[in-house]
Amino acid sequence: MLKKFGFGFAAIVLLWLMAPTVSANEPHYTITTDATYAPFTFQDKNSQYVGIEQDMMKAIAKREGFTYTMKPMSFNSAAQLVSNGQADGIIAGMSITPERRQVYDFSTPYYKTGVAWIVKKDSKIKSLEDLKGQTVALKTGTAASEYGLSLQAKYGFKVKYFNDTDTMYNDVAVGNSAATFEDMPVIQYAIKNGMKLKVMNPNQPGNAGSYGFAVEKHKNKALLTAFNRGFAAIKKDGTYDKIVAKYLGASQATFSGTKADNETVFGILKSNQQALVSGLWQTIELTVIAIVLASIWGILLGVMGVSQMAWVRGLSTTIIYIFRGLPLMVLAFFIYIGLPGLTGVKIPAFTAGIVTLILNEGAYTGAFVRGGFEAVDRGQMEAARSLGLPYGKAMRRVIMPQGLRIMVPSFINQFIITLKDTSILSAIGLLELTQTGSLIVARNSQGFRVWAIIAIVYLILITLLTWLSRWVENKMTMQ
Amino acid sequence: MSDAQTKVKVHVENVNKSYGDNHVLRDISLDVSENEVVVMIGPSGSGKSTFLRMLNQLETPDNGTIVVDGFDISDKATDINKVRENIGMVFQNFNLFNNYTVLENIMLAPVELGKLDKAAAEKKARELLATVGLSDKADVSVNSLSGGQKQRIAIARALAMSPDVMLFDEPTSALDPEMVGDVLNVMKNLADSGMTMIIVTHEMGFAKQVADRVVFFESGKIQESGTPEAVFNTPKNARLQEFLSKVMHA
Ligand SMILES: Nc1ncnc2c1ncn2[C@@H]1O[C@H](COP(=O)(O)OP(=O)(O)OP(=O)(O)O)[C@@H](O)[C@H]1O
Ligand SMILES: [Mg+2]
Repeated sequence: MLKKFGFGFAAIVLLWLMAPTVSANEPHYTITTDATYAPFTFQDKNSQYVGIEQDMMKAIAKREGFTYTMKPMSFNSAAQLVSNGQADGIIAGMSITPERRQVYDFSTPYYKTGVAWIVKKDSKIKSLEDLKGQTVALKTGTAASEYGLSLQAKYGFKVKYFNDTDTMYNDVAVGNSAATFEDMPVIQYAIKNGMKLKVMNPNQPGNAGSYGFAVEKHKNKALLTAFNRGFAAIKKDGTYDKIVAKYLGASQATFSGTKADNETVFGILKSNQQALVSGLWQTIELTVIAIVLASIWGILLGVMGVSQMAWVRGLSTTIIYIFRGLPLMVLAFFIYIGLPGLTGVKIPAFTAGIVTLILNEGAYTGAFVRGGFEAVDRGQMEAARSLGLPYGKAMRRVIMPQGLRIMVPSFINQFIITLKDTSILSAIGLLELTQTGSLIVARNSQGFRVWAIIAIVYLILITLLTWLSRWVENKMTMQ
Repeated sequence: MSDAQTKVKVHVENVNKSYGDNHVLRDISLDVSENEVVVMIGPSGSGKSTFLRMLNQLETPDNGTIVVDGFDISDKATDINKVRENIGMVFQNFNLFNNYTVLENIMLAPVELGKLDKAAAEKKARELLATVGLSDKADVSVNSLSGGQKQRIAIARALAMSPDVMLFDEPTSALDPEMVGDVLNVMKNLADSGMTMIIVTHEMGFAKQVADRVVFFESGKIQESGTPEAVFNTPKNARLQEFLSKVMHA
């Protein structure tokens, strides 16, 4: 058992060692956030992370003389990364609750809030009682969702979970879910920006509370102190009020661009060109690196799978069994969040993503490579051995060339799957094509148009990849 | 070693082999001398293939002794690959390497095992192709050949290693009748040239013609063995009589 974990672990450590590290003289922190949470944090039309929290953080860091890297990802990942010491702090509309105080140390509250319950603009629902038997959309891991959940027994609704705010809003706006629960300022900003929803309790927010900046409990005291000191200062000199007014008093065009930029496909393409190109590039980079390394790893697993030594075969079978059995997202979370929690070694998201793909796609590749070798007629091996060729030579000269030829279609198929699977890595905050789409929708609420664009880009990529593979296949069989 | 011993090319003593409850070979002993041609006959499932495949360790016996060319192959310390270089084998289904041309099939083993350099191996391969009457096929893919041609290439491939002993497991059973003659001809020439051969076949006419000795297998035992005349004309064993009456009148 230890051996196979050793293998995967060695691969992870190797990749980690190759990754760049940051060094600086003034204190440098890694801070996580959720960039689908306007007006607190979101990506503006120039692909910059902005919002009340981002402007606050900038002002405080400047005053207190520290620097930081802001890492946007899903709220859950953002919170977990801090709780296991991979990141130093989180600023992501995080409500201060007694449960969270067990795990985090909070700053002085920077925003007072409460939970709104929200329905579609023209909904027939008048009161919470009307939700009986209906579906309510909730965002995983947020205080608003916990509040919603606490009402479930009383009002008898069903719950459907989402990972980001905008998909959740859209689910309600198109009528899939009847209602949702969200923090008051967040939903108010979204409605102001054209989201076709209405707040049912504007004057009686549920579970009134506050947002705080958080660090891992008993850790990062210096950062927390600096934050509190800086926050007190910007509150006193009026900077804070200016920031809040800037976002809550703003019209949509200020941050999201003009109507023309958002309501035509061409406008969306033009105004998000930069973000889309860099998302596309990240997807291509992930795909190409993963295809190459996963194929190498998979072929190695396949070769091990037909070894003469039983323990080598067993090792290969077990590795394939484990990594084929784990859902890709679970594996990604395990490597990105779970493993560093255990070992204390931080892993960059890109590295974690690549390792995830290598292990998962490599296991599938290993399985069909072994299968391909085994599919070669037994007589071929017997004939080679009867001539005196040792097992390894017989494998390399006779079995493997024939097996690899059988496998070509499986390889092409696996390449396409790898390309599609890169989208799952948006969950750990990699800014690839899918995550880029999420961020654009978070800002402009144009779900249909943006996802149509993203879907078409994927289809084009897959078509190109298929053509390329076929071309290589033809070249190979012609030889 | 005395002269008498060096003359024995294959020595098998008290060999047993079972697949689960199926006792396939029962206490088999057999010696084959240099230049001798032994033909093995017997009903289906009697253990002929298993016996033949044990001589080059494609199957391992449960117990007993097998010595080929002076190497005790039932001894774990023996380098089986070295022994196999001197034992050629021809299979019912040819088993030509699909990823190589005819010439490459013949050259592969001598070159890979460092017996001949490329040029020498190619020269030898072309000579062998001439002996089996297929010089014009040197550069074609093996999949374009007929069954009879494939089997003659397979024989050439085995001979490229200059073996001392050749094993044939029903070399003509998968062939169309009109192809059988060409393959048997090649084998007959090989026998005439003094090759030590052990052949499993159902071609009784061929057995009469080339065999020095015919061995009758039944139920995992050698029931009778002797010259072709003795075995075919005056069989003593009742099962052999029954077997012959079936195959001769079929
Ligand atoms: N790998 C194996 N596993 C299990 N049983 C086997 C195996 N190989 C052979 N046998 C069995 O051993 C017995 C002898 O088989 P073998 O192939 O040696 O017979 P044969 O005399 O060559 O028959 P044929 O004329 O049909 O080729 C048969 O009952 C067969 O089913
Ligand atoms: Mg047989």
